[in-house]
Amino acid sequence: MPAPLLEVADLSVRFDTDDGPVHAVDRMSFTLGQGEVLGIVGESGCGKSVTCMSLVRLLPETATVSGSVVFDGRDLLALPLRRLRQVRGREISYVFQEPMTSLNPVFTVGHQIGEVLRRHLGLSRSSARARAIELLRLVRIPAADRRLDEYPHQLSGGMRQRVMIAIAVACDPKVLVADEPTTALDVTIQAGILDLMRDIRERLGTAIILITHNLGVVADVADRVLVMYAGRKAEEAPVAELFAHPQHPYTIGLLGAIPRPYEGEGTRARLQEIPGRVPSLRELPQACAFADRCPRADELTRSEIPPLREVRPHHVVACFHPGEDGA
Amino acid sequence: MSALAEPTGAPVVDPRARRRRLLRRRFLRRPMAVAGLVVVLAFVVMAIFAPWLAPFDPSATDFNATFAHGTARHLLGTDEFGRDQLSRIIWGARASMQVGFLSTLLAMGIAVPLGMVAGYYRGWIDTVIARVTDVLLSFPFLILAVGLAAILGASLLNATLALGISAVPAFIRIARGETLALREEDYIPAAVVNGANDATIIFKHILPNMTSTLLVQATVTIPGAIVGEAVLSFLGLGVQPPKPSWGTMLQDAQQYLSQAPRLAVYPGLAIVLAALAFNVLGDGLRDILDPRTTR
Repeated sequence: MPAPLLEVADLSVRFDTDDGPVHAVDRMSFTLGQGEVLGIVGESGCGKSVTCMSLVRLLPETATVSGSVVFDGRDLLALPLRRLRQVRGREISYVFQEPMTSLNPVFTVGHQIGEVLRRHLGLSRSSARARAIELLRLVRIPAADRRLDEYPHQLSGGMRQRVMIAIAVACDPKVLVADEPTTALDVTIQAGILDLMRDIRERLGTAIILITHNLGVVADVADRVLVMYAGRKAEEAPVAELFAHPQHPYTIGLLGAIPRPYEGEGTRARLQEIPGRVPSLRELPQACAFADRCPRADELTRSEIPPLREVRPHHVVACFHPGEDGA
Repeated sequence: MSALAEPTGAPVVDPRARRRRLLRRRFLRRPMAVAGLVVVLAFVVMAIFAPWLAPFDPSATDFNATFAHGTARHLLGTDEFGRDQLSRIIWGARASMQVGFLSTLLAMGIAVPLGMVAGYYRGWIDTVIARVTDVLLSFPFLILAVGLAAILGASLLNATLALGISAVPAFIRIARGETLALREEDYIPAAVVNGANDATIIFKHILPNMTSTLLVQATVTIPGAIVGEAVLSFLGLGVQPPKPSWGTMLQDAQQYLSQAPRLAVYPGLAIVLAALAFNVLGDGLRDILDPRTTR
């Protein structure tokens, strides 16, 4: 197996707030291979976004980040800011949730795509323009040569998200981090954007980290899935494996909460919810973070942090009592 | 949707040229703004070409024609020394325009970088800049200007400096406030993830977003400075007699207010007209430069 493109080891993020420290991410480790699509799922506030923002040090100064993020042989957490800026947008780029406001309102779409090209690739105005048209075609915006001179407010939300993706892939990055890229869009547009992400991976060979709380999206696009809970990794497995043989009770709970209107004829089973709520991240319990909500919890669960174990091939889970059934 | 309605076979035009044409068309649809621009340009032309436009030397006295009124020789009459009022108003435009534009440029040059640095970096530098600004803002604009002009000494250059510095706090507050708001916009982190450094963020992403606000403030500051110059000159802290300025003309006129009120009326009208024209022009510019404007 070749060395992974991105290797995150023991990544922890702590925010020092007026009310004391908040442990947003606790010793996360994962890898991303060339051209691979990794889905990171978990509910709001579980540390998905913080994990990905910390990769190229986008967090505010109140955050303390430890661990290592090795990308292409360099530790991004130790890289000088000047060099890191050359990585941002060129080798690792981001697409955020808010397409409506992520474009600068006073510049045309073409100008904003061109800005990245001129900064990182040193293209001239005219060649940046030509490349921007190509990029708009790549993200399937019709009449690209005319759209280029329009301002963000003249485009719809889905169109703007396509422009954001065009900016993100402009310099042919090795990694594209998409943080809830479809959440702010309506369902029909979502499908188009996901389709586009698949297309980009296929045509450009870009590795993608897809952050979402939507398991359907993950099933659709990802190769591998990482489930996060309360700042820790709960479970990680190839996508088909995870959906077929979920091990962690939290994952099982998440899958049980997906509505399946077309399955089980006549038996419209009630959606299962996970009882309880996410623990506060203020103090990390020296126990399984899911213990209070878990049907399998026992003394061991409440007294120790479960280590990650490989229970099936390529399938790791942080649980003392893994298993498929709600035992 | 006008872009979609364009015939597809239209010849390819440079987008910049197209934008210029669009802005021109929007501007021409605003008669008040056009009138403002015409008047402003008229004053600027007057200021630049004063030596050629003025029928007389503004300081030349003619004791055979004191207090002349409405003669063909002196269209706006003469003052107590027989100096031609029209010529003095034309030359006075020079002082007013110079002070108006230069002091505003000076204020923006000092204030905008300071305000943006304060708003962008926050922390102690913001505290220092913002608190000093608050202290300065507690002095009324003209009081500050009069005080500074008194310290610097009476001359046109010092009046420009005094008025420019007096306008700095207001500009700092605006630049800082705008920066504070704009740095929270989603396109700022979007630019950061694409590798932009602080200078790029401040000057290429934040500054262009506040140009319309700065422009509005400039169109308030320029007429303010024009009036300020008149006040300083009126008080003897600006242009020194016998050099012509609208302020010194008002000063001279006040002793003869009952005999020859027109001596005060004409320079007064010039001040009002100039100030009004800048304000109206500024409103129009603000409207057309906003990309959300559709007309």
